[in-house]
Amino acid sequence: MIQKKICLLGASGVGKTSLIKQFVEGIFSEKYLTSIGVKIDKKQVECEAGSVQFMLWDIEGIDRYCGFQPKYLRGAGAIIIVVDQTRSQSLIEGIEIFKLARDMSDIPAILAINKSDLDSTWHWDEDELKELSAPFSYTFLTSAKTGANVELLFSTLAQHLLSEAGS
Amino acid sequence: MKLSLFKALGIIDCCIFKRVDVDQFEAVYAEHEWLDILLPGARDKQFFQTPTDSPFLDDFLMQAEEFWEYADYGKIESGIWNESIADNELKLNAFATMESGDFYLIINNVKQQFQERQQTLQSARELLLSNDKIVAQQEYVHQRLDEMLNQSSDLKSIQQPITEVIEKTEVGVAILTPNLKPISQNPALYSVFDSHLTPVESEPYRLILELFEKQYPEFERVISTGSRWSGELFWLQPPGNGKWIKLAIYPVKTDFQQITHWVFIVNDISQVKHLLQNNEKLTHYDALTDIPNRQYFWMQLEQSVSNAMPFYVLYLDIKNFKRINEIHGHSRGDQIIKELVERLTPHVSPGDMFARIGGGEFAIIRQKTVTEQQCVDLGNTLIDAATQPFYLPNGTHCEIGLNIGAASFPRDADDAETLMKFADLAVFNAKKASKSSVQFYSQALKDASQRIIELENALQTAITNHEFELFLQPMLDLTSGTILKAEALLRWNRLDGERIGPDEFIPIAEQTGLIVPIGKWVISRACEMISTLNHRGHSCKLSVNLSPRQISDRHLLEFIRGSIQNSHIQPDQLELELTEGVLVDNYDKVQYLLTEVRKLGVSVSIDDFGTGYSSLSYLKKLPIDHIKIDRSFVQDLVSDENDKAIILAIIAMAHSLKLNVIAEGVETELQRNFLQLNHCNLAQGFLFSRPLPFAQFCDYLNTTVSNQKRIGPSALDPE
Repeated sequence: MIQKKICLLGASGVGKTSLIKQFVEGIFSEKYLTSIGVKIDKKQVECEAGSVQFMLWDIEGIDRYCGFQPKYLRGAGAIIIVVDQTRSQSLIEGIEIFKLARDMSDIPAILAINKSDLDSTWHWDEDELKELSAPFSYTFLTSAKTGANVELLFSTLAQHLLSEAGS
Repeated sequence: MKLSLFKALGIIDCCIFKRVDVDQFEAVYAEHEWLDILLPGARDKQFFQTPTDSPFLDDFLMQAEEFWEYADYGKIESGIWNESIADNELKLNAFATMESGDFYLIINNVKQQFQERQQTLQSARELLLSNDKIVAQQEYVHQRLDEMLNQSSDLKSIQQPITEVIEKTEVGVAILTPNLKPISQNPALYSVFDSHLTPVESEPYRLILELFEKQYPEFERVISTGSRWSGELFWLQPPGNGKWIKLAIYPVKTDFQQITHWVFIVNDISQVKHLLQNNEKLTHYDALTDIPNRQYFWMQLEQSVSNAMPFYVLYLDIKNFKRINEIHGHSRGDQIIKELVERLTPHVSPGDMFARIGGGEFAIIRQKTVTEQQCVDLGNTLIDAATQPFYLPNGTHCEIGLNIGAASFPRDADDAETLMKFADLAVFNAKKASKSSVQFYSQALKDASQRIIELENALQTAITNHEFELFLQPMLDLTSGTILKAEALLRWNRLDGERIGPDEFIPIAEQTGLIVPIGKWVISRACEMISTLNHRGHSCKLSVNLSPRQISDRHLLEFIRGSIQNSHIQPDQLELELTEGVLVDNYDKVQYLLTEVRKLGVSVSIDDFGTGYSSLSYLKKLPIDHIKIDRSFVQDLVSDENDKAIILAIIAMAHSLKLNVIAEGVETELQRNFLQLNHCNLAQGFLFSRPLPFAQFCDYLNTTVSNQKRIGPSALDPE
């Protein structure tokens, strides 16, 4: 079994905590409760190639009240940039955060376009989204509320990390 | 002893360990029960070692090891973390520090601070999210409508798609005529005002206009100048509690800057305001910068007026703030605002109020200013502080400008609203200048503003009324004396016979965007002139000036190509002139444009060289053919050794880069001789000819046998 630190990053209110809660505990709450600081959850994922113990770092949303903290990326095996498809600004900010994280390390990055259960209200077309998501290893359209693609995101990441560890 | 006392008094809630070896820590003070949750056994043993059960603490201790090894003093902080073990929740913050060669770990229980921080940030972030959503909705609807309304002037043909867009959206939308008469208002707009409208107000747009006019002194200016605007309105809706409305106003304009429609976009933000009111600090202070907000500013302004002591109001507006947000993103825009406030605050006297009253707008109430000069000095200090570069986290930097308008109480106005209206007018006037400046309100300024508005309106129809004319000023080869090319200079003769100088109307055209269609007319007319000259057997290149705004027009290249083709002229008969400032401010766009025009065969010349940045790097990197030495150096070259040295340096540098040099403003034989002797390639100025109407220029070409012949009596006509 390998153990990997995974950092979830993104603007505030995009659903980082909810994605982890859905993945670890299988529950979702409609109420928005802003996260302060860092909270770490653990979950083991079994794959054909082996198992991965995820240490999921839920990091406070990056906005005008809380800046990007590169120190939290130390030792991370991957990052997940979470954006909210009902707020186009969250994608712009997500891409900015991704660039800042890239300056620190070139670990695999996943783009999670969250809140897929709601209508998308941003005006990015398919081509623009494709271009924006090009630097990411994987892109998933997720819903922390319905659980859509949440398991898939983490199992894909686990497989990726296992194959990386094996090679 | 002391520690126990502190603990008993509840002053400290932390545990302290001393690092005794790598990964081994001895308790200095470890008496709190919560430690049992984080580090089981550590309280009993007065000791712990890593790894612990807390991945966060282990991670921090790895950082701490590096710190203790390499740093000589200071401390590092972990940041707040949540520790959730069994059913217990801890909120902690750790420090690694050193004292007299010993290393310490301090773990604080920050439950109380955490709760306070969460309470504040919960409201603040809910507000941020609501606001983001509203702005995004408004921008989205505006963008869609703008595209549609621009597609066709025939409203009937686009009625259907417009209706589809506005019927479906959750935000209130009103589309009005240029005279503010309703064309369309969607159901969401009616539902913002639901059934509370009185018969007089039966149309929501009418109520919106009324509220805007009553509550914002800038109403008149926004409407008369066709400006974009956004802000909040309060609708005291008797007998209810009132409603807060966020209004965004967008004029839809043609290329000629004629307003075809007004689009009003409205959101009900009463709930957001309610959230704000729950937090007194957020009610009066701007959440981003922590300085007073618009509401608090107005309260203070009213108070200052009622005190009846003289004071000044300064209205500060960041130049092109919208563009900064577009280029660098809103979060960078926010960072710039925060840093700007940090830079400006120290210059504001403690008794004065400094407030953020809009996105990129600030205001100062200067209570103890005795003279206008003191206000100017303050304004200039603020401009100096603002115009220093802002360094962005991605390693780039950007610069901003600041326009400042000022009005005096009671000299200019004796009520708050008129005072702000005049300060707004003054700042609007300051925006006209390309550089940051301080402008005071005055009757003359009011008259000048009216003149500008009048000229803006007249400019809109100047092309269709055939009021523009291109004059040509020849440029001569200093060795052979032949006319190689001419600069096309725009003149405006109004229908009433008034001649408006380019110095007056070009900045207005640039400011309003009218320079784009006017610039196209210039290119097209210059190509026609070249064609006529060709037919008459003259081969003369014409150069036209490009303004910053034209560079940003993505259809420019296509237009140049089309004009050359339609006139059946050779591309190398056309030249584009750009100033140094345009190059530096729009480097990427300019590089693309110049590379493409070079491919076409059009040549490029840099105007006013020596007055701006005079950067060698762009001369080397960009496809440039000529540089024009600014007239200010030529003017005094005979008497001023410095100007002489500058000209010699420019010529030497240009020649080493294989660029030709053109001297502007040559008026005397002495100047010409100096330039000729020092291998300047071409010259332009009154010594040879003043700018001529096309017919006279043709005569000049026909009759000139000597390049030294001077035409025209007036040496005062601007070139």
